[in-house]
Amino acid sequence: MTDSPRRRFVTTTVEVEGREEQRVVELPAFDVAPWDDDTVLDIVGSRATRVDAREKITGRARYTTDLAPRGVKHAVFVRAEWANGTVTHVEVEAAQAVPGVCAVITRAELAADVEAGLIGGAFATLFDHNVRYAGTPVAVVCADTLAAAQQAAALVQVQGHGRPHVINAAEALAPDAPRVPRTFDEASVSAQNLLGGAPVVLERGDVSHALTRADVRVDVTVHTPAALHSPLEPHGALAEWNGDQLTVWEGTQGLFRVRDNLAAAFRLPLNHVRVRMEHMGGGFGAKNYAGTHTYIAAWLARRLGAPVRCILDRDGTQVDTGHRSATTQVISIAANRDGTLTAIDLTATITMGVSGWLASPGQLYHELYACPNVRTHESFVHVHTGGMQAFRGPGYVEGCVGLELAMDALARALDMDRVALRLANIPQHDQRRERAYSGHRLRECFVEAERRMHQALAHDTSHRAADVAPLAAGTTSRLVRGIGYAAECWSTGGGPPAYATVQLLRDGSVQVLAGTQDLGTGARTILAQIAAQTLGARLECVRCVIGDTERTPYTGNSWGSMTTPSVGPAVRLAAEDVRRQLCDAAAGLLNTTPDELTIHDSVVHHAASGQSRDFTEIGRALGNIVLTGHGSRGPNPDDTTIVTVGVQAAEVEVDRGTGIVRVLRLIAVHDAGRIINPTLAEAQMEGGMLQGLGYALFEERRVDATLGVSLATGLHDYKMPTAADCPDMRVYFLDAADAAANSIGARGIAEPAIIPTAPAIANAVAHALGVPVYALPLTPWRVLEAIAKA
Amino acid sequence: MRLTINGREVVTHPAPRETLLDLLRESLGLIGTKRGCDRGECGACTVLLDGAPAYACLALAAGCDGAQVTTIEGIGAASYGGADAGGAPLHPVQDAFLAHDAAQCGFYTPGQVLAAVALFDRTPAPDRAAIVDAMSGNLCRCGTTPRILSALEALSASHGRGPASP
Repeated sequence: MTDSPRRRFVTTTVEVEGREEQRVVELPAFDVAPWDDDTVLDIVGSRATRVDAREKITGRARYTTDLAPRGVKHAVFVRAEWANGTVTHVEVEAAQAVPGVCAVITRAELAADVEAGLIGGAFATLFDHNVRYAGTPVAVVCADTLAAAQQAAALVQVQGHGRPHVINAAEALAPDAPRVPRTFDEASVSAQNLLGGAPVVLERGDVSHALTRADVRVDVTVHTPAALHSPLEPHGALAEWNGDQLTVWEGTQGLFRVRDNLAAAFRLPLNHVRVRMEHMGGGFGAKNYAGTHTYIAAWLARRLGAPVRCILDRDGTQVDTGHRSATTQVISIAANRDGTLTAIDLTATITMGVSGWLASPGQLYHELYACPNVRTHESFVHVHTGGMQAFRGPGYVEGCVGLELAMDALARALDMDRVALRLANIPQHDQRRERAYSGHRLRECFVEAERRMHQALAHDTSHRAADVAPLAAGTTSRLVRGIGYAAECWSTGGGPPAYATVQLLRDGSVQVLAGTQDLGTGARTILAQIAAQTLGARLECVRCVIGDTERTPYTGNSWGSMTTPSVGPAVRLAAEDVRRQLCDAAAGLLNTTPDELTIHDSVVHHAASGQSRDFTEIGRALGNIVLTGHGSRGPNPDDTTIVTVGVQAAEVEVDRGTGIVRVLRLIAVHDAGRIINPTLAEAQMEGGMLQGLGYALFEERRVDATLGVSLATGLHDYKMPTAADCPDMRVYFLDAADAAANSIGARGIAEPAIIPTAPAIANAVAHALGVPVYALPLTPWRVLEAIAKA
Repeated sequence: MRLTINGREVVTHPAPRETLLDLLRESLGLIGTKRGCDRGECGACTVLLDGAPAYACLALAAGCDGAQVTTIEGIGAASYGGADAGGAPLHPVQDAFLAHDAAQCGFYTPGQVLAAVALFDRTPAPDRAAIVDAMSGNLCRCGTTPRILSALEALSASHGRGPASP
């Protein structure tokens, strides 16, 4: 074969939520030159109005939990409340007698189907009698009304017994600790309840040697809490069968993953399962897979021959859909007298729950600042609480608290300015993977964040600059203010596979089909902007259809800050494909050649003759010929790390009498490549920062040690920021194309938004008080304790 | 019992434990009012009950005999008779939300809009403290809060400068 076309399939590295995977990818049918800083763009980069804003503010936007087709049945779970225990019997008689109840299902019914080979996958363990965390679902009641299902569920009696449990890492690692993992997981887990059977150790250079020789060395121990995603729309699914075809509506970050999960569980071909969603009320990492509610809704719908809706109540959402793991980080950090870092040593304990993955706080320690000697030693510990799930910046949020608090401690020990210390240690390349960054303007982010903060303080009439860190000036004031800084880096390159289809319809309207989902991020809007820009269409003529595995081509989960850099280039290629066809078609109508034509505002122009045809005229001429373009996401550049870096600055006021911390101001400066829509990007950044503020000040899932049950089952026990907690927030981007990263020059921003917020706030509190607080959240009690100890 | 919902009289026989939220969503299909927690913690189900903001999940339907209830479906464009034709007028609060991109996932938005409408009905030009106070009963996990506050401050400023609120 001498005339074979370009190789279509190559292997590339893709990074998801801090994890690298090798994957085979398909090269696009053709390439386009990346949009660089010299490319003139008028729709991409504009502050276009969010395309679904009107639907949302008028209440017409439909969410999964709003759907109720005729004859729908409602499913409500019954949960066991032992942290570790065994169910011996589930008494369902009283529940079955409630009027309107159609089914009360326990392990027995599911097990019969598993044994018969009708179902598999996740069903192997649903409603298992071996209970490993409080809140494990063990039965479901299905009824004609939600009220009847709730009433009956309360009448189900779960009988059995509890056993000793472990809810913190120290207990779980004791030699005689009860085992957390299931027996069939045994091969992968040691007797010490450690994921993988051993700590994960990563070292470059010689840390021990460097620590002993350092001019200055600081040792700190930092605690971070377990945090809950707490999306306001609870997890939920609506399932319906038509023969052997299953349709499920699910509020999810990954439609295709839910489809794959369901197909495996019901032993169906992928083309028999359709997963749909219009809008979703937040995910933040907690809605990446099919859940128990999804499988059970589908199972009940088949058994009952009716649509079944299973929506978790608030308790269920708070105890059974994952969390960010609590960590303890023991850090030694050392530098030369001039501030050059010489060693970083981290020993971290990550308290995961019954299940989870290696969401590493340590990775950031290897990447954020230049340092030749870095060692991280991480123990991921199983305990008897619900499983961990990725939560916006998993690992990095926790790690950033430890590292950035240690950096401030080092600055104090060196008697060095905190920003100057960091500027002395900006990495020149990706030290963890030993390769270049596609773009990395962390230094400019620091300079700009500090400048913006100083500018804001100078213009703030509510205080004078001298009030900042007044303890240093020996003040006796009860209200003290401080400022703090922290930085982040997070892989945001996205990657393949992702596909898109763009169609120009006969009336000149444009349809973008992409199998992604809009979590509130604005994906619908920015994909429409990219298509309109590429094709030369008016933005209002472009509609983006997403959220349906049967109507749209595949794209992956909306996680890892990767939707824009993954799907955006696929949409650009699909729209470019249509643009070329359109020029071809229009050339005939204008008696010219395609390369003589330009397109703008939905009009094709021929400069030489001064003639033009708008999309509707061309559509009329073409009749029902549909110009259809296909695009796919090509591989990432070799040997290049693609990250979004940034710096956030916080100003706080602390009441030394009550210990109450108020965040007055948050400033963010990030380098995220090209910003497709500044308004939406700023909104998403602010949202992440406000979540970070909650993590810094209020949010903590506490578990009762004796009972092993969560004390954060609602939104009052798990306090999130409200309007009253909202500081003055300013978001800035070093907006410039990353032409090396992908053809649209954009990187992700979702997770970078939250990573540095909490440590910036904690450093500001330390600055105000003159004494650090090394445990989050910074509750009044912890703040007062720190003051008392000082 | 009878109550008026978005200007229309509704005759219903609620179950003893049925909440106003159940009545709106499950019986009447008014799904713009959201169920976020079902126990008065999140504010996603905020409606106007006799003009005052109320959590529909905490109001028993049977206790609403004779009440005037306004949901998001009764605010702005939709109140002009159903489908929003795209150009139909919005309530000034909705216009302000739109101009400030004050909705991300949007799940909490109807409740936020109702809380704000109630505030501006009482106080045409509230100051920032009054806005913060009125909006603090409505959680927003996407963190759109700064935009909601900016939107309402701008609306208040426009009222302060211009004619009285409609």
